[in-house]
Amino acid sequence: MNATSHGPRTEPYKPMRIEAIFFLGLIGFFVPMFVLYGLWSGWEPVGSTALALVVGLWGMVGFYLMILSRRIDPRPEDDPMADVADAAGEYGTFSPWSWWPLVLGVAVSFVFLGAAVGWWLLGIGAGIALVGLVGHVLEFSRNHHAH
Amino acid sequence: MSSATSTPHLAVNRPNLTQVGTIVWLSSELMFFAGLFAMYFTHRSVAGPEVWNEGYEFLNITFSGINTVILVLSSVTCQLGVWAAERFQPVRTGSLFQVSKWGMQEWFILTYLMGATFIAGQVFEYAELAHMGLTLQNSTYGSVFYLATGFHGLHVIGGLIAFLFVLLRSFSAHRFGEHEATTALVVSYYWHFVDAVWIVLFGVIYLLPML
Repeated sequence: MNATSHGPRTEPYKPMRIEAIFFLGLIGFFVPMFVLYGLWSGWEPVGSTALALVVGLWGMVGFYLMILSRRIDPRPEDDPMADVADAAGEYGTFSPWSWWPLVLGVAVSFVFLGAAVGWWLLGIGAGIALVGLVGHVLEFSRNHHAH
Repeated sequence: MSSATSTPHLAVNRPNLTQVGTIVWLSSELMFFAGLFAMYFTHRSVAGPEVWNEGYEFLNITFSGINTVILVLSSVTCQLGVWAAERFQPVRTGSLFQVSKWGMQEWFILTYLMGATFIAGQVFEYAELAHMGLTLQNSTYGSVFYLATGFHGLHVIGGLIAFLFVLLRSFSAHRFGEHEATTALVVSYYWHFVDAVWIVLFGVIYLLPML
């Protein structure tokens, strides 16, 4: 690598293109698989339905990334000549730490224990889950995080 | 953040990680419903079309069709709420009857009411069907019907709870910002998804046997 290869690129590159092509490309694989499977099995319902919806699985993500790629600015990830520092900046809202997932975990334990031991435990689990959910969702809207 | 004072840089438009994550999660939800569709079609191929037609006789297509229209329209009101959230407008700027000036909260409350109407309609439908003798236990058609529509109903209830949390976050925010708008947007993704799944379910369960 020589020093002149760094810096802004002159030719345009499309952001997130590789990701979109990866997911959309799998549609190209699963559509023929769906048709082949259907024809060979005489349109057996379980596999045919599942394969058709696998097309949806990849298509949903693929089309979303394709639309997204038109809306966002070029990312350093798309540029082979990018520097690590180019990726600096704000990425979103992240919780530094939280006790609420533990509360939710306890709640879910009670719910599943309820299925094994007795359904009355499910009610306790639901109650704890409500407290945990409210705490978790509103953690960054309350007290000293209020904005 | 701190470097902004010394070296000013342009704001870059990056993909929102919460939104991308929600779409990836919803694609896995699609596979959950794939299982339910597979179950439904398996029932037909194993039990035979006669059993299907027998159970189908019970269904009230007009009632369920109206319920479907309500759910589809709730997606429209939800999207109007999202557009308000993208303008960072939580509350209306005019009177309650000036719909064009509504903010996210008004639109989402309306969406909530429509979603709740759908659920109420489904409960009413279940009660009618159980009264006529179609239950989860007494027939295989009843089992697949209640499992498929019931799991969808649970998803709608989950969406309604999510709407309450969007509203709670919005009510508790002094300044409606990116944090609140993102919540509104990803809940709308979920709501549109659940709506789209219902359209397919409605087509498969209520309309397909008519062909």
